Amino acid sequence: MDWTFVSNLILAGVRMATPLIFLALAELYSQRSGLVHIGLEGLASIGSLAGFLVSLVTGSPLLGMAAGAAVGILVNMIYAYATITLCAEQIVYGMAINIFAPALAAFIYRVYFGAGSELVQVALMETVAIPGLKDIPFLGPLLFDQTPMVYLAYALVIFTAIYFNKTKSGLNFKAVGEHPKAAATLGINVIGVRYAASVICGALAGMGGAYLTTCYTTTYVDGNVAGRGFIALAAVIFGRWSAGGVLLACLFFGFCDALQIRLQVGSFGVPYQFFQMIPYLATVVVLGIIGMRKAGPKASGKPYRREER
Amino acid sequence: MEEILRMEHITKRFGDMYANRDINLDVRKGEVHTLLGENGAGKSTLMNVLIGLYQPTEGKIYLNGQEVRIDSPAKAVQLGIGMVHQHFMLVEAMTVFENIILGDRQTKGVFIQKEQRRREILALAEKYGLDVQLDKLITEISVGEQQRVEILKALYRGAELLILDEPTAALTDLEVEGLFAIIGKLTGEGKSVVFISHKMREVLRISDRITILRTGETVCTVDRENASAGELASLMMGRELAPSHYEKKEDTQRQVVVLEHVDYNKAAKHSGLSDVSLTIGAGEILGIAGVDGNGQSQLAQLITGVITPDAGRVDLKDSKVAKFMPQAFIEEGVSHIPEDRNKMGLVGDMSVKENILLKSTAQPRFSRFGGMFLKKKAMKDYALEMQEKYDIRCASIEQEARSLSGGNQQKIILARELEARPDILIAVHPTRGLDIGATRFIHDTMIEARESGCAVLLISADFDEILEMSDRIIVMFEGQVMGEYSGKNPPIEEISLAMAGK
Repeated sequence: MDWTFVSNLILAGVRMATPLIFLALAELYSQRSGLVHIGLEGLASIGSLAGFLVSLVTGSPLLGMAAGAAVGILVNMIYAYATITLCAEQIVYGMAINIFAPALAAFIYRVYFGAGSELVQVALMETVAIPGLKDIPFLGPLLFDQTPMVYLAYALVIFTAIYFNKTKSGLNFKAVGEHPKAAATLGINVIGVRYAASVICGALAGMGGAYLTTCYTTTYVDGNVAGRGFIALAAVIFGRWSAGGVLLACLFFGFCDALQIRLQVGSFGVPYQFFQMIPYLATVVVLGIIGMRKAGPKASGKPYRREER
Repeated sequence: MEEILRMEHITKRFGDMYANRDINLDVRKGEVHTLLGENGAGKSTLMNVLIGLYQPTEGKIYLNGQEVRIDSPAKAVQLGIGMVHQHFMLVEAMTVFENIILGDRQTKGVFIQKEQRRREILALAEKYGLDVQLDKLITEISVGEQQRVEILKALYRGAELLILDEPTAALTDLEVEGLFAIIGKLTGEGKSVVFISHKMREVLRISDRITILRTGETVCTVDRENASAGELASLMMGRELAPSHYEKKEDTQRQVVVLEHVDYNKAAKHSGLSDVSLTIGAGEILGIAGVDGNGQSQLAQLITGVITPDAGRVDLKDSKVAKFMPQAFIEEGVSHIPEDRNKMGLVGDMSVKENILLKSTAQPRFSRFGGMFLKKKAMKDYALEMQEKYDIRCASIEQEARSLSGGNQQKIILARELEARPDILIAVHPTRGLDIGATRFIHDTMIEARESGCAVLLISADFDEILEMSDRIIVMFEGQVMGEYSGKNPPIEEISLAMAGK
């Protein structure tokens, strides 16, 4: 194992962890408010198409990211209205988003470009080196010469950690996911917090999807989210519902993903599908080990009805 | 004395059911005002209206002479109304400190100013003698301390009127004394307390005035000086309650349950059985007296087939039990009123009807092909019949069981377990947390079961209940049988000593 292999691995790992971080933070906010959201995959799909189209039309990947966020919020409002206001089953609506949103994305793509057209490509977001930090030997070029979205993802992790641990608003937010009725008796607006969480969740999930088409690959193909929404779900459990834990979990899964690509390239004779399984296998193994040792927010998955007896 | 709260003509309807109907209540500054009523009389509903959790269908609320509309709990907090719910509203995954400052709007700033807040809370705690450990998680502290946290939480938000919903239900006697001392300090500082309870002794001790509710309506308000326990009870029940004396039986013919030298998890003194031998005869009630947690739970689980003994012999109806499985015991005619009705007795999310029929769906009466196809009509008719027979008060038999009051939940279990015409009935704390009326009903039903030849094992931490009901009394201590006494003229002194292990 030589030096370039390792540095390439870290570089790719960080890049691949980034969309997972967006998605996992989306899930974290959602679950902390008591909404288990299994529809991230769908939100990311539609986000990735929105990002692709907007950055193609405007030529600005940054606007593409913004469009991803906006569309993510919009689609997630369907989920929010159904689960928060109508008290519908969260898993069912999450699944509905997973079926609906990718299909919508595929449909729009076909309508826009026509069936059977050639692959359209967009320019990716430029990397921005952070002066000073990028000169740190070894790690500098790996961690501090990335696209702004990578920095944003890490900034969001730090922000989230501070928000949930140090602020009054964050404490109230957590209480809604743990014991909504108690929160309500203290004058916390449970419904409001859950909608706010859904806006944050939609935006972050949309950005996670848009990252794939504005910073990662130059083109959109159906199914490009490739299970990341579910891996992010696992990352939240693995990360024990804390921002720091989620970051570590995402990096772990990101490196697994990077590793499988390197191994595919590097070895002959073994079907590449075996290596492709690595990130998913890692998810299963990790969840198996970590299991149900500590449950997440107590009221997660349960609707809140105001006048329930 | 100055009036702080007046509620006028409050009506609250859930669907077709009136939980409150035309209720009037006024509370004065610095008084302890008790709301007295049976389970389901509408006490908690009225208070939930007051704190903005429910919206009244009709009626007006005045606070310090001003009419107010309390449309959310936030509004109630702002108006200085605090409530300690019967089931505490504490976030278990958070610390005491976090629970107290939760939802705080009085202080400015985004971040939690830990040191400053702590000082304020500790000062407040000191003033009212509320001893709490701020850095412990809620799961790590006792029930009594959780209650103090709840009181502190309300005071921290500037509550002038504090509602305590059945505050003594989960407390030990010592903790109750502590609570009363705190209430004394609160009223001494000019705060008002609404005390909700159905325990007569406590009510007479702590209240200044008492308002009695019955089936969702106000009966009257009386001063403590002019009240007596008997009078209050009859006002609460709406009828005179004759003192009960069940006839005791001394001769039992056939031994239905025989335990010989049974051991289970012997090393654990508080959750094991050690060399237990006893018999229960047909048509008698055997009472197990003892302080909670001396092996009673294990005894009940053993005779219902939930656990398997490590050693010894258990005979049911003259044949030795080979397999300890609940299903086998049910087939032998064992019915079980479990100690925790919410955890073991009922499926809270299922309807009253479904809970009543839980054990009998396989009968040809209710289904074809041994449970394959349910006969919905027959099930519904049967459930309605049971609702009538056991006086289960609910809006509909399709209502979720969890939404009923404790007494009515217990009646569902009773309907299910006794209609199976059991030969053996294991009743564990059957009246815990229930009011006088429901308790009496359940006792009567158990006596009826005895009269029809059922062997009844009654396990209760309530010594009075044991004395009243049992034909024979066995005392358990640290998993062992300490002694056996006749239920007729039992030697109370001796039994008390045995319960303490002497």
